[in-house]
Amino acid sequence: MKGPLAKTVILLVGMYVFLKFILPLFTAPLPASLIFLYLALTLASAMIFYTMSGGSLDEFMGPIGRFLTGTGQTGIAGTARILVFVLFPLLVGWQTYTRLAPSDMPPAENRTIHPAPPGEFVGLANPYERTQDNIMMGKGLYAAFCSPCHGANFDGKGPAAVGFNPPPANFGDPGTIAQLQESYLFWRIKKGGVGLPVEAMPWKSAMPRWEVELPDEWIWKIIMGEYDGAGQSPRTWEEEE
Amino acid sequence: MGYKKNCYVALGLILVVTGVGASCVFASDPPPEGGAESVAVRLHLTDDAISADDPNAPVWDTIQPAEFKLAPQVHWPDRIQEVTVKSVKVRGMHNGRDMAILLEYADPTEDAADAAAIEFMVGDKMAHFAHGQEMLQVEGGAVNIWYWKKEHGKATDMSAKGFKTIRAQENQNVSATGAWQAGTWRVVFSRPLQTGDEHDVQITPGEWRNLAFAFWDGEIVDGAVREQGSQKAVSSWWYVRAEPPPDNSMYGYVVLGIALAAGFEFFLLRRIRRGNES
Repeated sequence: MKGPLAKTVILLVGMYVFLKFILPLFTAPLPASLIFLYLALTLASAMIFYTMSGGSLDEFMGPIGRFLTGTGQTGIAGTARILVFVLFPLLVGWQTYTRLAPSDMPPAENRTIHPAPPGEFVGLANPYERTQDNIMMGKGLYAAFCSPCHGANFDGKGPAAVGFNPPPANFGDPGTIAQLQESYLFWRIKKGGVGLPVEAMPWKSAMPRWEVELPDEWIWKIIMGEYDGAGQSPRTWEEEE
Repeated sequence: MGYKKNCYVALGLILVVTGVGASCVFASDPPPEGGAESVAVRLHLTDDAISADDPNAPVWDTIQPAEFKLAPQVHWPDRIQEVTVKSVKVRGMHNGRDMAILLEYADPTEDAADAAAIEFMVGDKMAHFAHGQEMLQVEGGAVNIWYWKKEHGKATDMSAKGFKTIRAQENQNVSATGAWQAGTWRVVFSRPLQTGDEHDVQITPGEWRNLAFAFWDGEIVDGAVREQGSQKAVSSWWYVRAEPPPDNSMYGYVVLGIALAAGFEFFLLRRIRRGNES
């Protein structure tokens, strides 16, 4: 097991075990397509490495050639060879079938969660001072108008949230309001789901267009209450520079 | 050496194809969170007449339902925060000409004002699920709504494109029948797949369409109907597709794929053997 082919196989198996089982212990699991991409890159790298000289190319491919031609094979190796010759066409047939078979899954949707806001909403500052009174008023308004969907705990799990797709945002998640500026929230609350651009699929959003019901002052104070209640801070211009 | 190189390139090709195949077969992604919930209604293809009038016809129990959760309507004012109907089971069938969709949902009381509706996007323009509400950056389309109310005893075929624009259509082509038993409503809607009316959703087997649901609990509480108008249980947009007739041509391509792969193996083996001999 010292030949280049054996080393490559061991490398590939090791990579697969690492990507599939060890890496998820520290971070989110990788999608199968990404694992395959990494394995393909590993294989390609190994092949390029062993193609650098004719001698090692022979060492790399030689065992495969001998296996396929059946040179000097007995017992299990002979059976494995026949199995490979039978399985390869069947695998091609299976791939053809899965590509052509009608799917019961609807078309995939690539929805942009935080699309670019319209120009007039970029860089607006909250005109109200961050006082306890204003924050408390914002939290009260949040409880009345926002919490049925976004939840009393700002976690997107309000009593009305369960049926909606996409689900209401969880403000405690570091990927939502912590990444956004106050002006962005002002746009999203004021114009609601129907204010979203096409890439965000506005036809699916249940978020009301709150400018119809709430004055701007209330919206700015709700934003203050949301950040305070969720324990997050708005993204600021300074951080972007 | 050139001969050998050709063989090695072919061998490499085999490795890659087998790798791709194996990774697709064995390394499929886990379903997304909450993957047990449905995203689409399948209208099963049948050779028989469609069960359009009887929500309790035995054929319905042979079809696996899709299930969708429901939420209170919150998009525009006059909203409520609690609704009676929490989820709906949906079954569908078609025979290439007519279609039927059965809605099954829990509602503890049978009331004259109980009602159910199915909403569809019409044509190719995306429409907001709240009655085709106007969108600010996207030119939206209209929706077609099939509405059934217990006291009417029939369906109304409606159209809407925005807040307070809902109206009954001139051409009524939808039928509906409801049956309540032991706290469960079963309501069956039926219609031809194609109507030729531009205000209607047109269902073509094999094509995906968007649909959504709405329900009203008509129970009288303190002299008033519990849920009416925009106070209702709603779903988001989901998908519906009429099952297309079976297409056997794909099996021909599968056989062709197998034959080509076997031919490739034969060719490769001959090349390697000749290379070794030389």
